[in-house]
Amino acid sequence: MIRSTEKGMGMMIRRASAIVLILAMIMPLAGCWSRKELNQLAIAVGAGIDKKGDHYRLSIQVVDPGEVASKNGGANRAAATLFTAEAETVFEAARKMSRVAPRKIYFSHLRMFVIDEILAKEGIGPVLDFLSRDHEFRTDFYIVVTRDSTAEDVLKIMTPLEDIPANKLYFSLESSEKNWSPSLTVTLDELIQDMTLKGKQPVLTGLKITGDKKVGKTKRNIENIETYSKLQYSGLAVFKADKLIGWLNDTQSKGYNYIRGLVQSSVGHVPCENGGGNVVTEIIRTKTDMKGLIQKGQPLIKISVYIEGNVAEVSCSDLDLNKESSIFEIEKRDEESIKGFMLSAIKKTQEDFKVDTFGFGEAIRRTHPAFWKTIKEDWEERYFPELPVHITVDFKIRRLGTVNNSFLKDMEE
Amino acid sequence: MRYRTNPIDKTKLAQSLNNRRQEAAGPEHGLDASLSHNLQQIKQTLGYSADIVIREVRTGPDGNQAIALLYTDGLVDRQVIIGHMESLMLDTAPANNCGQESSVGASIASKLRQEVLKNAEIQDITTFDALYHALLSGDAVILIDGHAQGIAAGAKGWSDRGIMEPTTENVVRGPREGFTETIRTNTAMIRRKIKDPNLWLETKQIGNVTRTEIGIMYIKNIANDGIVKEVHTRLDRIKTDGILESGYIEEFIQDSTFTPFPTLYSTERPDVIAAELLEGKIAILVDGTPFVLVAPAPFVSFLHSAEDYYQRSDISSFIRILRYIGIFISLLGPSLYVSITTFHQEMLPTELLIGLAAQRERVPFPAFIEAIMMEVTFEILREAGIRMPKSIGSAVSIVGTLVIGQAAVEAGIISSVMVIVVSITAISSFVMPAYNVSIAFRMLRFPLMFLAASFGLFGIVVGIIALILHLCSLRTFGIPYMTPLGPLIPTDMKDTLFRLPHWMLTTRPRLLNQQNTKRGKQSQPKKSRQ
Repeated sequence: MIRSTEKGMGMMIRRASAIVLILAMIMPLAGCWSRKELNQLAIAVGAGIDKKGDHYRLSIQVVDPGEVASKNGGANRAAATLFTAEAETVFEAARKMSRVAPRKIYFSHLRMFVIDEILAKEGIGPVLDFLSRDHEFRTDFYIVVTRDSTAEDVLKIMTPLEDIPANKLYFSLESSEKNWSPSLTVTLDELIQDMTLKGKQPVLTGLKITGDKKVGKTKRNIENIETYSKLQYSGLAVFKADKLIGWLNDTQSKGYNYIRGLVQSSVGHVPCENGGGNVVTEIIRTKTDMKGLIQKGQPLIKISVYIEGNVAEVSCSDLDLNKESSIFEIEKRDEESIKGFMLSAIKKTQEDFKVDTFGFGEAIRRTHPAFWKTIKEDWEERYFPELPVHITVDFKIRRLGTVNNSFLKDMEE
Repeated sequence: MRYRTNPIDKTKLAQSLNNRRQEAAGPEHGLDASLSHNLQQIKQTLGYSADIVIREVRTGPDGNQAIALLYTDGLVDRQVIIGHMESLMLDTAPANNCGQESSVGASIASKLRQEVLKNAEIQDITTFDALYHALLSGDAVILIDGHAQGIAAGAKGWSDRGIMEPTTENVVRGPREGFTETIRTNTAMIRRKIKDPNLWLETKQIGNVTRTEIGIMYIKNIANDGIVKEVHTRLDRIKTDGILESGYIEEFIQDSTFTPFPTLYSTERPDVIAAELLEGKIAILVDGTPFVLVAPAPFVSFLHSAEDYYQRSDISSFIRILRYIGIFISLLGPSLYVSITTFHQEMLPTELLIGLAAQRERVPFPAFIEAIMMEVTFEILREAGIRMPKSIGSAVSIVGTLVIGQAAVEAGIISSVMVIVVSITAISSFVMPAYNVSIAFRMLRFPLMFLAASFGLFGIVVGIIALILHLCSLRTFGIPYMTPLGPLIPTDMKDTLFRLPHWMLTTRPRLLNQQNTKRGKQSQPKKSRQ
């Protein structure tokens, strides 16, 4: 028995030393290889890219955590700071940034990626390759295009409420997409997918600076109730593959979102029958059905939109909402107005841009894949500009709010 | 180191210490017929110890018969001893009416046995060895001159702690009694719960100096005979001078030494022991400690509390799940924090990451060092809390709270999230009903933290895999440690992760019982099975 115990001890020692040896061998191989303490990171939340000659100018908005999370107001510094670097390629610019940034830039928490309008016109493909290749980038940040300003300037504007400007842009775009239809959130994977599809071209939301840019970059911007300069989303940028070719205005953008079925909630108004006011409806639910058909050997698109809405505001004095007929009347005129948005968006793209931003080609490919193969190559040149689109809108008013007729009607009497 | 001194030399009293080791007569040496010689021998062997009381009286028909009563002061009930003395003085007087006895001494002895010591359990003693054992276990020993036998009369009665509420395994609902340091009290408490003739108690003495009484209790037809035999074999194999606590026995008979996990269950609750016996397990009672061992002890039994069976089954199941969560937190808490904040920052929501980064802004140490510092500090505080005198307890807890909590954060040595992580981990480690398993998990926390700091989540996963492999390789008295999870036994799952209502617990655990696996006719609420 004593012998077996000794044997057991020997086994134990041998096994323990084997484990120690393995650990010792692993440590130099992998030990702490990519270890980064939280206070060694510069957390990038916003990134912008401009083109300066044949150089890319990369601007990174980095959070100053001590300032954001401090309880007693902090040291009066801005909540975020901006680092910029110029190089021939994006990745080189990112690495070159270490010359100005005290810590390693950490991209996983990127919220917004801002592309300069001029660069977008030249083509965003080369930039996106870096974003999709580097392991640190996730694909859940939103991509926008600047309008009439550089990406660097956009990232310099100080914003109220949200300390970190990139966060402001992120949440504002999200809520704008949800509650006001002309904006659109596009993530990297969606953008790359759209760029590679033949029957669908990408769009990105536009971003512009309003007011005095110079004051916007200083702390003065957020000291008053009304800020001097604001960041505002405006319109949709239409791309042909990776090149910006034009803008849709807000109405057309709205139409675009109805066609794509991206409207979650929105607001629309129609004027009163006898003028002098509006009936405003809040759209609470929409459903778009897009179908590609072939008629007489020619492609045809049928779009049917189903919309539910509530009456939100009435400023017509002669409208009797207690009558069923007047509800039907509002529904009918809302249908026409929304159809108008959609048609204007289609008209603009068909006549001016001649690119299929709506995914009509994709709709035909889904229903008639064999036919799509025959027309794929000529789609944008030959078929899309002439493509007939039939739109039916079905608008249903569900609720009138907490009152029936407006008190304005009683005032008249 | 044996001294041989002259046994007749009475002047060397100063050497009594050495005399204890002396071996004047071998342990198997029989008693002598001469009382004075015997007494001399006993005094010498016991080193004239002050607590050994020897009363010599003269009685018999002519008042010439010498009788001695020996007992150990403090181990006997004084009342009983007084009774014995009175009996010896009065009743032995007319003894010489049994002609067949060979001598006067023998006739007195038989009279004592049959008539005088009616109230006491008696036992004949022929050797010194038996005499010492009886004397030192608290029996009174009666020696009669001219008779080479003694009589041991039961007189045990020492001061006892009394039955109190156990301090280690608290329950809200359930019996409040706990085992005591006296093995006889403990066996009685188990007997009171199981009144079945099949509840057997077998005793052994282990430790050639302490001669500690060990009791092995099991229910004959339920316990697995093979395991009972194995328990006996392992106990018989113990060769040591002393057993002072059941922990000694545990280390001697456990299946594997080099594991942080206990393979014997210990409890100070008689109700737990009764429940384990009913499942077919074997209780090992050790005199001198309230902690009773249970063998075999699969891993899951350490995660179950007695109260699981006293509360409603749904509540118990919920609490068990809570306990599993607690185990995971206490094992992985700091290592997950370290790995996520140093390797996998992308896993955190942005706001949280910024918040954490802000807190770590001025912390000079890596998260791993920070975590180790806090964990060690906490372990020191915990250990101090157990060891220190109760009267200064509050002082230490104030210092501990301030050190761990506020001051360390304000001094910028650690971040306040770390305090939260360490506190949650610490509290979670106390949800485990079995203290020895919670220590095991607390110990394992440190290697896991090391793995987390070196390899991130990858290291943690490797660590957990290694831990599971280790757990599955363990055995407890031949039974896989992870039953019924390790070898999956579906019928035993009813009382493993959850606890189903008692009427559904119809079978005893497999592997523990090869016979009698049904729990007998159970009352069922809906329809009774015939």
